[in-house]
Amino acid sequence: MPELWELSAEEVARRVGAREVSAVEVVESALERTARVEPLVAAYLEIFPEEARARAAEVDRRIAAGEPAGPLAGVPVALKDNLSLEGRAVTCASKILEGYVAPYTATAVARLLAAGAVPIGRANMDEFAMGSSCENSAYQITRNPWDLGTVPGGSSGGPAAAVAAGGVPLGFGSDTGGSIRQPAALCGLVGLKPTYGRVSRYGLVAFASSTDQIGPIARTVRDAALALTVIAGADPQDSTSADAPVDDYLAGIEDGVQGLRVGVISGVGGIGGLSGAAERNWRESLELLTAAGAEPVEISLPSVDASIAVYYVVAMSEASANLARFDGVRYGRRSPEADNLLDLYVKSRSEGFGAEVKRRIMLGTFALSSGYYEAYYGRALAVLERMRRELAAAFEKVDVVVTPTSPGGAFGIGEKIDDPLAMYLSDIFTTPASLVGLPAVSVPSGVDERGLPLGFQVVGRPFEEATVLRAARAFELQVGWQAAPGFRAAAGTRETG
Amino acid sequence: MALTHEEVRKIAALARLRFTPEEESLFVDQLGKIVDYIDQLQAFEGASEATSSLPPREAEDRPHECLPRERFLANAPAVLDAFLLVPEVKGGGEDA
Repeated sequence: MPELWELSAEEVARRVGAREVSAVEVVESALERTARVEPLVAAYLEIFPEEARARAAEVDRRIAAGEPAGPLAGVPVALKDNLSLEGRAVTCASKILEGYVAPYTATAVARLLAAGAVPIGRANMDEFAMGSSCENSAYQITRNPWDLGTVPGGSSGGPAAAVAAGGVPLGFGSDTGGSIRQPAALCGLVGLKPTYGRVSRYGLVAFASSTDQIGPIARTVRDAALALTVIAGADPQDSTSADAPVDDYLAGIEDGVQGLRVGVISGVGGIGGLSGAAERNWRESLELLTAAGAEPVEISLPSVDASIAVYYVVAMSEASANLARFDGVRYGRRSPEADNLLDLYVKSRSEGFGAEVKRRIMLGTFALSSGYYEAYYGRALAVLERMRRELAAAFEKVDVVVTPTSPGGAFGIGEKIDDPLAMYLSDIFTTPASLVGLPAVSVPSGVDERGLPLGFQVVGRPFEEATVLRAARAFELQVGWQAAPGFRAAAGTRETG
Repeated sequence: MALTHEEVRKIAALARLRFTPEEESLFVDQLGKIVDYIDQLQAFEGASEATSSLPPREAEDRPHECLPRERFLANAPAVLDAFLLVPEVKGGGEDA
């Protein structure tokens, strides 16, 4: 008999809804497991057990009163520390937001609560979602449960590590250039970035407004689909949220990939310096999808080579504008030393932001500054437009495009932290879908030579999450990935109990 | 394109940031490498007109009731009645 914390979100909701188990029991199991693994993994910045127990009791009360149980009844979840939950701190893992308390709840989180989900804590992240390793948190380094000497990926490394370590079946993060998909890949999980506009961003602290999206990290494709069904949909509080119909993403998920046209970018194996084992895994993944009935079609996307350069110019330009609001006046950290208003801005920001955030604000300010604007920001938008057209043309010939998620498995803690450019280049496969606003999912595809997980990415047309998830589900079945949470202690021994 | 110390100081001033000499040297080096990398954009062919197929449609931005002011002021570092308190505005350079 599996422990309650080992169950999928789908199974938890079914059992809680059928009154086979109470939400309180499920949450207690999640809190116990989390207490055991957290000293090793450090996935959370804050755990709120009492609030979680009270919410679980409320779910049980609703069910006992004959009210609808909700599609996520009693499911414990981890929230990335840039998602607002009224009355709880939100820091974006930054010193500049120390002490900030959310005055309202994010729409996506409100939908989770209404569906019966129970947040158990604020999960760690790279500061302001800027990073691919979770090492840029101002508070702590989160470790990958598969190998405690390696990073969980980023920026949603906290939610990914929390799910991989077993405490919760679902984590929620944000993805601006790969921040859900890459940590999901590195932690052996499923990570879904919905279409731009699919999920309301009201209550998500903004990083790059033209690409930010909220999405789930799960142990199975089915759980990711269930989570998306709950959080998707238009919201009057977010004018960029799309008024497109929301599917039941579980409805056709088992229909398979027979005849599905799968785009493979010509020369993709040579992009991004795929490591030996990752390259082999990529080729085997394609064979598995083909064996399931998909039809590979070679496509040409020459501008993909420029995606990192485009991403870092566009996203950092937007970040430099979005982060201008943190000035010590309205919220967050205020420097006690300031003599005048300008001094207050400069000191509060210089003391409050970490090195990576400063680097990115500087890069964005440079790209938007007089004399460089056309050469960098203007140029990046023009190349992005080219990329949009190439992808639109490709999607006339294929139903989905597939790539590896990351050039390799989890890297060592400290391995890339002093080389920002090397860290940026690890986003090569995830940034195009972000820039063009397409739905994309990373699904586990096996392990590298060290036994650490690798991911396979499926990208679809706008608002065709159902197709992307169907392909991911077929691939998951072919791979035969063990959905049970992996947990390997630093010594290399496996521990699942 | 290499960045000079002076350029880094100028960008920092625009971004309302200030660095120690050590941080400044590190940023001159790191930002220079990153700018070298993004310079590859010049070699890619761009397209000028926006297509209408892929970018999302934005919903109409309608006014609606805001949360109470006190809720937001609760996060402010310094408040006097319904106002935010800040240090003297004068001084600190022409763009203060």
